[in-house]
Amino acid sequence: MIWTTIICIALVFFVLVLMVFVMKLFGMVFTHEHEHKLPKTADKPVSAGLLHEEEIAAITAALKLYKSALHDRESEVLTILSIKRAYSPWNSKIHGLTRMPERK
Amino acid sequence: MFTFLASNFALESLEKFIGSMGFTAIFANMQWGNLAMICIAFFLLWLAIKKQYEPMLLMTIAFGMLLTNLPGAGLFHESLFAGGHVHWGEFVKQNPGLLDYLYLGVKLGIYPCLIFVGVGAMTDFGPLIANPKSFLLGAAAQAGIFITFLAAFALGFTPEQAGSIGIIGGADGPTAIFLTSKLAPELLGPIAVAAYSYMALVPVIQPPIMRALTTKKERMIKMNTLRTVSKTERIVFPIVLASIISLLLPDAAPLIGSLMLGNLMKECGVVDRLSKTVQNELMNIVVIFLGLTVGATATADTFLSPATLKILLMGIVAFGIGSACGVLLAKFMNLFAKEGNKINPLIGSAGVSAVPMAARVSQKEGQRENPSNFLLMHAMGPNVAGVVGSAVAAGILLSFLG
Repeated sequence: MIWTTIICIALVFFVLVLMVFVMKLFGMVFTHEHEHKLPKTADKPVSAGLLHEEEIAAITAALKLYKSALHDRESEVLTILSIKRAYSPWNSKIHGLTRMPERK
Repeated sequence: MFTFLASNFALESLEKFIGSMGFTAIFANMQWGNLAMICIAFFLLWLAIKKQYEPMLLMTIAFGMLLTNLPGAGLFHESLFAGGHVHWGEFVKQNPGLLDYLYLGVKLGIYPCLIFVGVGAMTDFGPLIANPKSFLLGAAAQAGIFITFLAAFALGFTPEQAGSIGIIGGADGPTAIFLTSKLAPELLGPIAVAAYSYMALVPVIQPPIMRALTTKKERMIKMNTLRTVSKTERIVFPIVLASIISLLLPDAAPLIGSLMLGNLMKECGVVDRLSKTVQNELMNIVVIFLGLTVGATATADTFLSPATLKILLMGIVAFGIGSACGVLLAKFMNLFAKEGNKINPLIGSAGVSAVPMAARVSQKEGQRENPSNFLLMHAMGPNVAGVVGSAVAAGILLSFLG
């Protein structure tokens, strides 16, 4: 029984160690692909007096945050959600109410 | 004459009715075992409702236990499943109860797999994909299963029973139920109660072990931020893992396949409705059926025996050994890791499934020593690796002992 136990533990480790290698390989492939897809912004030449696009993005984001923090007022427009139901005889008023007798 | 006959008939019917009452059965046959089981069911209900120990399952298990031990109710008949097989012929001859029909889902291994679909859809495998070394910690924590398997065998249990007892150390309820229903269905009640009780007691059982095996300096280790995992990786992961493990271990295929199917539903993003259904409605329905029927197997004959006490005792040992092995392997891995790339050994104990409770314990223990240390995401890696590891261990035990 001891040998069975040792074999079982070894098998659990074998399967999971195999998964470590598979996942490492997997990670290497995907991170490599990801690096290829990234645009190489650092290589772009920056002319004198011009801002780098990352700096522009940072300034824009900061301005956006600043402006949205200034106005914290609600639009003061209440919206009423109207629900339209398709016609059904089950909720029809015509079918639900007793008809008045017609005078002839 | 008619009045006499009518009164005679009424008396006979009344006598028959009183004879069929459960109260009569208790007092006439002195079924003290059933009474004791009803008391245990009340205690478990108290634990689930008042103390909130895994209430989702413990409450339904306790109620199933209560129903099956009510004399005369006839909701569950062990004879239909005697010897570990479903006696289909008896289903026609006898008058099966509601729980007999529902129990087929456990017996045929359907409920644990459906729960695994839901678990997969709720689990984020990102930390494991970002740090595959976590698989090793998940593997080390399964050592508790096999050490307890040996101990149970030495204590006189059959190999099948010993395997089922050992799997409690995996701290994974559905896996424990799946394996026990295949190997030793007679122990299903005590094993399910032990597995779910100890899962609820993770925050009590693990911290002393973690503190005893680590130094203050080790507990303060800060780990590097995990890399970002792309959507494609997340989608490919369940497909690759399910294929490789199912090809290596066909016996683990139902559990791993279900787990990865659920995860794929979540990650692919095109079957949002299915993903939500398996996470909520399906999971909840199966939890009700599973809890009730597992509780129903805990009859007086099977539960009130010295074996139950041994199972409860060995379950906690299995759990403790699993946690300790995870911590020790993390320490061992640190011997070879470069400075700045070390693992905080506290995340090792999360290798015993119990998602996400075990990972939370690692986070809490880490913050006790260093409040600026955030280990949760790092601990989620071994935690989900533990789910895979315990399913693999169950598959191996099933192929060796089944």
